[in-house]
Amino acid sequence: MEEKANLTAERSLKIITEQIERSRNVVAKDTGQLLYLSGLATMGTAVIVALVNGLSASPMGQLLWLVLPFIIWGIKRIHEKKQVQAPVSLVGTLVVRTWWSFGCIVIGFYLFALIWNILVLRLYDNLTTATQAMVTITPVIILLMGMAVAITGHILKRRWLVLFGILGGLLVAICEYSGVISAIIVYSCASVKTIIVLNLITPCLSIFLFSLIGLVIPGWMLKKQNP
Amino acid sequence: MMFPALDPLLHSELRLAVISLLMSVDEADFTYIKEQTGATSGNLSVQLDKLTAAGYIAVEKGFKGKMPRTTCRITPAGTEAFRDYVKALKKYISTKK
Repeated sequence: MEEKANLTAERSLKIITEQIERSRNVVAKDTGQLLYLSGLATMGTAVIVALVNGLSASPMGQLLWLVLPFIIWGIKRIHEKKQVQAPVSLVGTLVVRTWWSFGCIVIGFYLFALIWNILVLRLYDNLTTATQAMVTITPVIILLMGMAVAITGHILKRRWLVLFGILGGLLVAICEYSGVISAIIVYSCASVKTIIVLNLITPCLSIFLFSLIGLVIPGWMLKKQNP
Repeated sequence: MMFPALDPLLHSELRLAVISLLMSVDEADFTYIKEQTGATSGNLSVQLDKLTAAGYIAVEKGFKGKMPRTTCRITPAGTEAFRDYVKALKKYISTKK
C-alpha cells in the first residue's frame, strides 16, 4: 500500500470497509478450518463408536464420545501452532464463546443423560417402561450443534451457514426423533439381534450425517471462500 | 475531491488502513498488519512510529517462543481520533449528496 495523503472521502471509506471485511474474513477462514477439522474428528469418532457398539452388541462404545472434546482440543492446539492465527477480535471471541457454551452444555447434558439412563435401567424392572423414561441424547445434541452453526453463521454474516445449521440440525434431529431411521431398520430386518445392533449404530449415523452437513461442508466452504 | 478538515495523521492510506484494522481486533502483530495491508516492512515501520508518536497506538516488543514479536494495539486516543475521522467523513459525504 503506497503512502498517499490526497485521499477522497470515497477512497477513505473504501479502505475502512475493506479492512473491517478483511478482519472478518480472516476469522471466517480460521473458523472454517476448525469446523472442518472438528467435523472430520466427529465423523471419525462416530465410525469408531458405531464399530464398537456393533461388534460388542452393547452401548459401551458411547463412552468414547467423552474422548472427542480432547481430540478437538488437540486439533485446535496443533492448528494454533502451525498457522498464523487470527488476532483476537470481537467476531472471533463471539464465535469461540458460542462453541465453548455449546461444548459445556453438551458435555453436561451427555453426562446427566448417561447417569440418568443407567439409573432408570437399574430402577425399573420393565424394559418398556425404562425405555420410555430414558433421555434421548442424539437429537438434542444435533439440535444444539445446528444452533451453534447457525449462530456462527450470523456472527460471520454468512447466510448460507445459518441455513446449513438450521436445516441440517432440524432435518437430522427430526429423522432421529420421529424414529424414521429406526422404522426403516425394523421393517427391513428380520433378525432381532440385527435390529438391536442397528439401533445401537443409528445415533452414530445421525451424528455422522450432521457432522458432514453442518461442520465439514460449511468448514470447507468457509476455507475455500477466504483464501 | 480533497477535504482538508480531517485529521492529517489518519488521512493517509496506510495509516488509515492500520487504524481501521486495529479497530476491529484487540491487538495484532507486525506480520499480520503487514500481510493485511500489503505494505513493505520499512514503510509500515515508519507509519507505525508516526501513529505511536501521536499516541494513537501502543507498540509492544516481545518474544513468541524464540521469535521476536512486535504487537500493536489501538489506544483510547486512537479510538477517539478514528471515531472523529469517521464522523467527519460521514458529514462530508452527506453534504456532498
